[in-house]
Amino acid sequence: MMNKTSLIAIALLVFMGFFPLFVDSAWLAVGTTFLVFAVVALSQDIILGRAGVFHMGHAVFFGLGAYTTAILNVNFGLPILATWAPAVLIPMLVAFIMVAPIIHLRGDYLLVATIGFNIIFIQVLENDVFGLTGGPNGLFGIDVVRLFGYDFSSQTHMYYMAFILLGLTLLIMRNLDKSKFGRAMFYIHKDEIAAQSMGINVRYFKLYAFILGAGIAGAAGSMFSVQYSAVSPEAFNVTQSIMFFTIVLVGGSASLPGVLIGTFIMFVLPEMFREFETARYLVFGIAMILTMILRPRGIWPVRFGNIPDFLKKGVK
Amino acid sequence: MDIFLQQMVNGLTIGSLYALVALGYTMVYGVMRLINFAHGDLVAFSAFIGLSVYAQIFGESITSLVAVITVFVFTAAIVAFVGVLLERLAYRPLRTAPRLSAVVSALGAGLVIQNSVMLIWGPNMKIFPSNLFPSTIWEIGGIVITFTQVMILGVSSVLMVGLYFFIHQTKIGTAIRAVAIDQDAAKLMGINVNRIIMIIFIIGSALGAVAGLFIGTYYRGITFDMGWMYGLNAFVAAIMGGIGNIPGAMLGGLLLGLFNAMITGYISTQWAETFTFVLLIGILVLRPTGILGETVAEKV
Repeated sequence: MMNKTSLIAIALLVFMGFFPLFVDSAWLAVGTTFLVFAVVALSQDIILGRAGVFHMGHAVFFGLGAYTTAILNVNFGLPILATWAPAVLIPMLVAFIMVAPIIHLRGDYLLVATIGFNIIFIQVLENDVFGLTGGPNGLFGIDVVRLFGYDFSSQTHMYYMAFILLGLTLLIMRNLDKSKFGRAMFYIHKDEIAAQSMGINVRYFKLYAFILGAGIAGAAGSMFSVQYSAVSPEAFNVTQSIMFFTIVLVGGSASLPGVLIGTFIMFVLPEMFREFETARYLVFGIAMILTMILRPRGIWPVRFGNIPDFLKKGVK
Repeated sequence: MDIFLQQMVNGLTIGSLYALVALGYTMVYGVMRLINFAHGDLVAFSAFIGLSVYAQIFGESITSLVAVITVFVFTAAIVAFVGVLLERLAYRPLRTAPRLSAVVSALGAGLVIQNSVMLIWGPNMKIFPSNLFPSTIWEIGGIVITFTQVMILGVSSVLMVGLYFFIHQTKIGTAIRAVAIDQDAAKLMGINVNRIIMIIFIIGSALGAVAGLFIGTYYRGITFDMGWMYGLNAFVAAIMGGIGNIPGAMLGGLLLGLFNAMITGYISTQWAETFTFVLLIGILVLRPTGILGETVAEKV
């Protein structure tokens, strides 16, 4: 079935695929970072938009992925490829340990607790625990991806690796929507108590969403550290978490195009207006307020109203 | 023992500042179920307003009691006005919207206030005038107490006790409690909910303004982005005491101040915030409604 949305999606995909051919290296770097941030924003959306867990500390998992790759490569000399699996698994494990005791709390408490985790994470990085994290300066000199004697070291290589990662993430999210998980999430989001009475294990699915989101963010973090060949604490602070949080809500939570638009607005637009350095965030704040007043459900909200997509199948 | 008593005095001082800010959070949360993320930036803003009010009215002249009171009253009035404006422009249109939309709006409002301060007063640290209070120092049995500390403890105690009686003894206070329990029922009883919310923002912002001025006089150096950390600590204090609970916010503030002072005095300054949040998470796991219990009615 070809509708307007999928046509736009295909056009966008083709455009993104050929993007490196038209632009200079500065914009190519912006494009790569856009792809990486889009992956992080989508993983935040799994937690915040789909599972409805108020979560404002996503930079922790993004940072854990980045630091796992950096520490294993710089301190222990492992090749980048070998760090990919731990860069996904460690954020997942940390997410489980962190969130399992508090997942049942009400939204606002979770919001503050997750901000707290982010602040603790930054202090751990800055205080150079076990001499691994490099303190406030971070770690640098991270290697490039090498496979069978080839070096994937150019900006274009990085761009396409991030592009593949985004594709994988979108695939995962599409499959999620059509699975038991997606249906459970939909009910939990609509009415948590009703879902619980229907026999849906709310705690299990919320944790599932959290751990999955953490793993995807970790993969993006690993890519981020290789792209800049350095990591430092300020790239993963609370401000960054607030940005991912805002991306999802400004774009439209639980909406794939919404989150991508959100990433574009919150990350790429500020890059375009770099000349107005000083007044930039003032305008930004006003834009955040206006967007929420004019479109409280985000710029591109999910459209299916009260009937989920999987039930509408075959009705037409 | 000397360190203990000294840190106790310091902790109570910081704690009463946290308590003043926490009251702003807890009152807004109690009535609107909204974490007012802009409140911390409003506190920072008031320190800068105080700086300008002082410079405009008194220049570098010698200080008097009248002058100090004028600075406090003027600043509180200006900040209360900004607080009301904030509610009108950023929160009122979103009262029926999904709750997280209001959170994003609050984050945006915080960004606007913070960057306005930066554009008006510049990005560098400003030094607060030192002659607002006399620089008298008392030494009692090895511990040092400054005049500013006594003022902070005294004024904030008076304000907190005053607020407690205002909420529990007056007609407006009763209306505030009614709106916090059930807005619709309060409306049916003839309470003007919009007016109550306005009063909440006036009180909360004015208390925040007093805290902001005290932060200026106590720490001297003020920066445009200092509001975030005070705001977060104060909100943590509000949760510890039980969100929506006014005596809880006061208790939470004082306890958090003492806890912070003991951690920085005995263990480490580098890990102070980590300890704060470990304590918060511990309290949330063991007693999710805070020490005194929240007064927020959970609607199912």
